Amino acid sequence: MNKAAFYDLSGTLLSGNLVMTHGYYARNDRSLLKSAYQLAKVVLSVPLLFALDLRSRARFNDFSFRAYRGMHRDRLIGLADDLFEVTLKPSIYPQSQALIQTTSELGYRNILVTGALDFTIRPIVLHFGFDEVICNRLEFKNHVATGRVLPPLLAEDEKARRIREYATRESIDLTQSCAFSDSSADLPMLSTVGHPVATNPTRRLRRIALEKNWPILELREPSSQFPPFLSHAKAV
Amino acid sequence: MKTTETWGEWRWNAVEGKYESGDSASLQGSGEISAIDAFAKSTMLLLGGTGFVGKVLLAMILDRFPELKRLVIQVRRKKKLSGEERFYSEILSSPVLRDIVERAGGEREIRRKVQIVEGDVNAPLCGLSPEQIEQLRGKVDLVVNLAGVVDFDPPVNESFETNVYGAQHLIEIVKLLDAKLVHVSTCFVAGKKNGRISEDAPIVGYFPKRNEGAATFCVADELKWYDDVMEQTRQSSSDTRQLKERLREAGMNRAEHWGWMNTYTYTKSMGEQLVAETPGLDYAIIRPAIVESSLRFPFPGWNEGFTTSAPLVLMGGEGLKGWPVRKDGPLEIIPVDLVAEGILIACAAVLCGKHKNVYHLASADQNPIMLPRLVGFLGMNSRYKHKHKTTGNRLANAWKAYVETQVITVDTLQARRARVHRGLDVIHAALTLGKTLLGEGKVAPYLKSLRDTRRQIRTQEVTIDKFLPFMHHNSFIFETRNIRETARMLTNEDLKRVKWDPESIDWADYWVNIHTKGIERWIRPMFASPKKARA
Repeated sequence: MNKAAFYDLSGTLLSGNLVMTHGYYARNDRSLLKSAYQLAKVVLSVPLLFALDLRSRARFNDFSFRAYRGMHRDRLIGLADDLFEVTLKPSIYPQSQALIQTTSELGYRNILVTGALDFTIRPIVLHFGFDEVICNRLEFKNHVATGRVLPPLLAEDEKARRIREYATRESIDLTQSCAFSDSSADLPMLSTVGHPVATNPTRRLRRIALEKNWPILELREPSSQFPPFLSHAKAV
Repeated sequence: MKTTETWGEWRWNAVEGKYESGDSASLQGSGEISAIDAFAKSTMLLLGGTGFVGKVLLAMILDRFPELKRLVIQVRRKKKLSGEERFYSEILSSPVLRDIVERAGGEREIRRKVQIVEGDVNAPLCGLSPEQIEQLRGKVDLVVNLAGVVDFDPPVNESFETNVYGAQHLIEIVKLLDAKLVHVSTCFVAGKKNGRISEDAPIVGYFPKRNEGAATFCVADELKWYDDVMEQTRQSSSDTRQLKERLREAGMNRAEHWGWMNTYTYTKSMGEQLVAETPGLDYAIIRPAIVESSLRFPFPGWNEGFTTSAPLVLMGGEGLKGWPVRKDGPLEIIPVDLVAEGILIACAAVLCGKHKNVYHLASADQNPIMLPRLVGFLGMNSRYKHKHKTTGNRLANAWKAYVETQVITVDTLQARRARVHRGLDVIHAALTLGKTLLGEGKVAPYLKSLRDTRRQIRTQEVTIDKFLPFMHHNSFIFETRNIRETARMLTNEDLKRVKWDPESIDWADYWVNIHTKGIERWIRPMFASPKKARA
């Protein structure tokens, strides 16, 4: 049986999030005037997004993807590398690369499971060297985004379902696998594997991790220790 | 593990709407043609196997059809390097072939399968000696010719020697060897035309303006014209530079006279006509559109030389803003590995006797990429490059990063050019005045940089002008029914090895993540220092 390491992205491996991504595309519209207009829209939507995030991650995602409505797919793909350089790369936590390298060396298949959109994570996948990606995709009509995500929206329970589906297809032993996430919204994902790791946890996830005796990992600090099931093998 | 080296393994499947790694589901073929069986029984002679398409084709044969009985490759001698030495030292070590050779069992295995003959299509019998012909007679089943001068407007003799006389030499040896022929030409032999171009138009006597007047076109007459013009130009030119320039003009004018856009397409069409008028010859003519970076094989983004859209992509990356293109027209491009696959499919069909005479290998028929979208991509590439540029003028970089590319008309283009040249003239006048007032020392560096700027601008203008027929003056869609029909006749096992599927190309992903990056990686270094690259 194979084993896999499932990674959440934003908050876990880097601090960048959906709003920053969308802010980037808004800033880089075809003309300065259009950019200003788009950026204003993003800024105004931030308080609403905060409120939604507290209530439901799925609703939050739904709303934030609506901001892509009317954007041309060429532009979303054409600027993805710049988005990565400008917004996402600087926000990668210092220990992220080392962690991914470790799981890879230990024979885990590295899999990114994220609510982010396919075109935005392409450079990230290549940067970290992930083996597989499970992510959201926008719906396009005639190359223009409709503002909807192709269902089912990848978040919360859906992440766990897709992980189990993937494990069955690729004959992966989930009890031997591990998962990394920062948010309590990913509890279903963390619970499907034998080695869940609360990574840079939110206050809520930290409490739960302590209750369940899950290891807690801080990728933001260069000196933090990897959990025993990884560091043991690393010493060997 | 994936690294940045293998960025192309992530492919967007536009049909399924998802990223995937590796091959998509296989097609179903009728099995009327079996490429594997046909190749297992055949010996192939490859001419022009050292060019951009040739090397990819060679790699594909070695990698996909190890069953092929024997492969004879003609390689031109290069100064002191014999054809054979050149093949093993230069060709096999090219990035296209390096890994393939490894996979095929190393150089020893290649030496067992491959025979190198030295020669040159420009010479009678393609430079093969009578002994070589004798040795190959009755053994070669198929000759595949990719040799050609692909420069659009070289001195007319260069084009004629390879594309016309070369075709004559080719036909000579095909007849002597009693083989079948696959001859690679170009879609653009259609000349200055618009709309859908059929594969069924008669080949012999074709010229683009034939519907406009009563004139007739025949290759023999053109050869007479060629002899006359060479004679006259040689006599009237005082030095080689002038001679070359006049021969270049002569070719372009003659092409223009019959309705072709340049010497290349004019001479290529004559090559086709010579093939088609040869009695009793089993042949297929392959006409690729503009050949671009590979989509998948041997790895995504492989590119070589300047005969693709590379000069345009590089200029876009440098920050050129105004692009004279048709708003409603596609750019007829096709990835080089699809061309190689198309050629192999046609080869199998010819060997089985189930071929058509003409195969267009193009994309717009099934999956067009419209020119304004490409202009958008060029702008985004410039934005990315200049935002992160640390050298050069900051203001200029900001302009190149944040001002978008636009589609302009040829009139606007001409007006802008005139304005730029007027501006440069004014600067030149001011500097000349400065020179008389302040002396040479202070002004000379500025004059030099002005000269450099002018030269750059002129190169840019010439490049754009060369491409105008393909992106502005004409709008082509080349019909590709023949290759699709022939591909459907293959066996399912064949279709796992070669497929014809330009309809599944996601142009945004291809242009941004494969083609542009391929050009930046493989062509930019040559472009930056052509002298170094040549050395």
